[in-house]
Amino acid sequence: MVATLAAAMLVAVASQRQTDTTFAVPAGASLSVNNFGGGIAVHAWNENRVKVHGDVGRRGRVEVSLVGNTVVVKTGSREGAPSVIDLDITVPRSMGLTLGGTYADVTVEGVQGPISAETVNGEINVRGGKGIITLHSIQGSVTLADASGRIEVNSVNEAIELSNVTGEIKVETTNGEVTLTGIQSSSVDAGTINGDVVYEGTVTDGGSYSFGSHNGDITVSIPERANVTVTVATANGDIDASFPLPMTSTAGRHRKTFKIGTGSARMELESFQGDIELRRPQEIRERIDEHKRDHHNDNDNDHDSDRDTSFSSHVDAGTWDYAARYAKAYAPKYAKAYAPLYARTYARTYARTYKRAYRDTDTTSH
Amino acid sequence: MNDLWTNRLSEYLDGELDSTERAALEAHLATCGACYATLSELRGVVAYAKTLVDSEPATDLWPDIRARLVQSSEPRRHASGVRSRRFTFTVPQLLAASIALVLLSSGGAYMALRPGTSKVTPQPAAVRQQGIMTVANVDRGTTDAAIADLQATLTQNESRLDTTTVRIVRQNLAIIDRAIVEARIALQKDPGNAYLNLHLADTMRRKVELLRRVNDIAAQS
Repeated sequence: MVATLAAAMLVAVASQRQTDTTFAVPAGASLSVNNFGGGIAVHAWNENRVKVHGDVGRRGRVEVSLVGNTVVVKTGSREGAPSVIDLDITVPRSMGLTLGGTYADVTVEGVQGPISAETVNGEINVRGGKGIITLHSIQGSVTLADASGRIEVNSVNEAIELSNVTGEIKVETTNGEVTLTGIQSSSVDAGTINGDVVYEGTVTDGGSYSFGSHNGDITVSIPERANVTVTVATANGDIDASFPLPMTSTAGRHRKTFKIGTGSARMELESFQGDIELRRPQEIRERIDEHKRDHHNDNDNDHDSDRDTSFSSHVDAGTWDYAARYAKAYAPKYAKAYAPLYARTYARTYARTYKRAYRDTDTTSH
Repeated sequence: MNDLWTNRLSEYLDGELDSTERAALEAHLATCGACYATLSELRGVVAYAKTLVDSEPATDLWPDIRARLVQSSEPRRHASGVRSRRFTFTVPQLLAASIALVLLSSGGAYMALRPGTSKVTPQPAAVRQQGIMTVANVDRGTTDAAIADLQATLTQNESRLDTTTVRIVRQNLAIIDRAIVEARIALQKDPGNAYLNLHLADTMRRKVELLRRVNDIAAQS
């Protein structure tokens, strides 16, 4: 306890560019971090000690104190504008975390306690967590993996991705996709305005599932032996399933209800502009893997083009010739590969776009 | 949508239906997505209400409330066979209530940021009564007004936020606005569509929540 109290008085003001502090903490202690800009990285270890490492630069400072049962880490600047400081903190595995920042990326790895993280301009990436987990960002993607408990994840302008998560889940973004895979839950509520929603996970008897988008498609997995009443609503999209759907009722042309098995669980699928697809879990997993491969390839291509672009300031005729030959050689190959992947999406998009245009033309011509 | 059942959903949730009515409603819920969606909304309202932290009022409201209860209880004593009062919501009221709860929960930051108001100040009883009544009477029009008010507050306090955040927030508000416009146009063509009604209300709720959140961030800056 003496060591703990001594550590509680610790104020690490960095005269050097880095600060490194390790101290014992009482059982059940929690961690609160406020870092205006930079990074907050938290790792777990099997010791009752907290280690705070900070890259503080010339002007920055890190203050560590114990307030009640909470280790409080604050960053600041000794002069002028706030400093950008990267914090790397190691904590006992079960420690509860409250992490906040404005221009801060947040990363948590291996902690098995409650986690609250909030940033304005930054990504949040969490692996682990148990209990109440709330992750909020305005401009930054949020990912959560291998967690359990009561989960609430929010972004505004980026995507949200949850994988291997168990518990009650509420997820919402405005301009981004929502991808939920390997979910075990009897209560999921996920929505976005501008983006697709994908759900691959359990459909538990008596459970409640709600997925919504305004402009995106919704794709959910229905396990073979699921007992669920699915209500599907879309204003301008299509409904498709890779298995027979026994319809029980329809309310207008926009809303349909299907009963699968005993219909014990409830599932709401709603998209204003997008399509709604019901698939088997394996189909979704394969599609996600395919999407990841494409994304990986796209990145590779981006890197290639990045390298090409870097030459553009002193581009010569030989480079252009090479680029032209390269394009000619690979265009047919890529066209062949991408056409099947994107044809469906573009066909849907164009059909919707031009349907209205032709309808209007048709109306005015009569 | 079946109005008979929709108007009894709050009783169902409160456990006030007898076993026959309950069984009938559950049978109906199994086949009516609209009623089920409405029930989900109501559950959401109740759950959200439970998460709100109690806060001390700016002044003690109890004397006013007690006085009014005493006044209003007189006629009741003479009414025979009158059951205890229940609050039964219609769909628009339910949706309005969910938005109102969001608005009320953001009241602290909103009042703190409101132009010309540095802190929450005691209000006259008449104003307080209006505030209480807002929960029951708010409709889409008042939600629009509340959104406009929150938006004006944000405009006043944008200087507290960095330009990137302001730009991102404006972009996303525009995305939500487009969605609201599209939903409204669709609703004009099909006014009785339960899905469109719920979708519009939910999209407006998102706008309120985004504005509230950004106002909260501005307050902390």
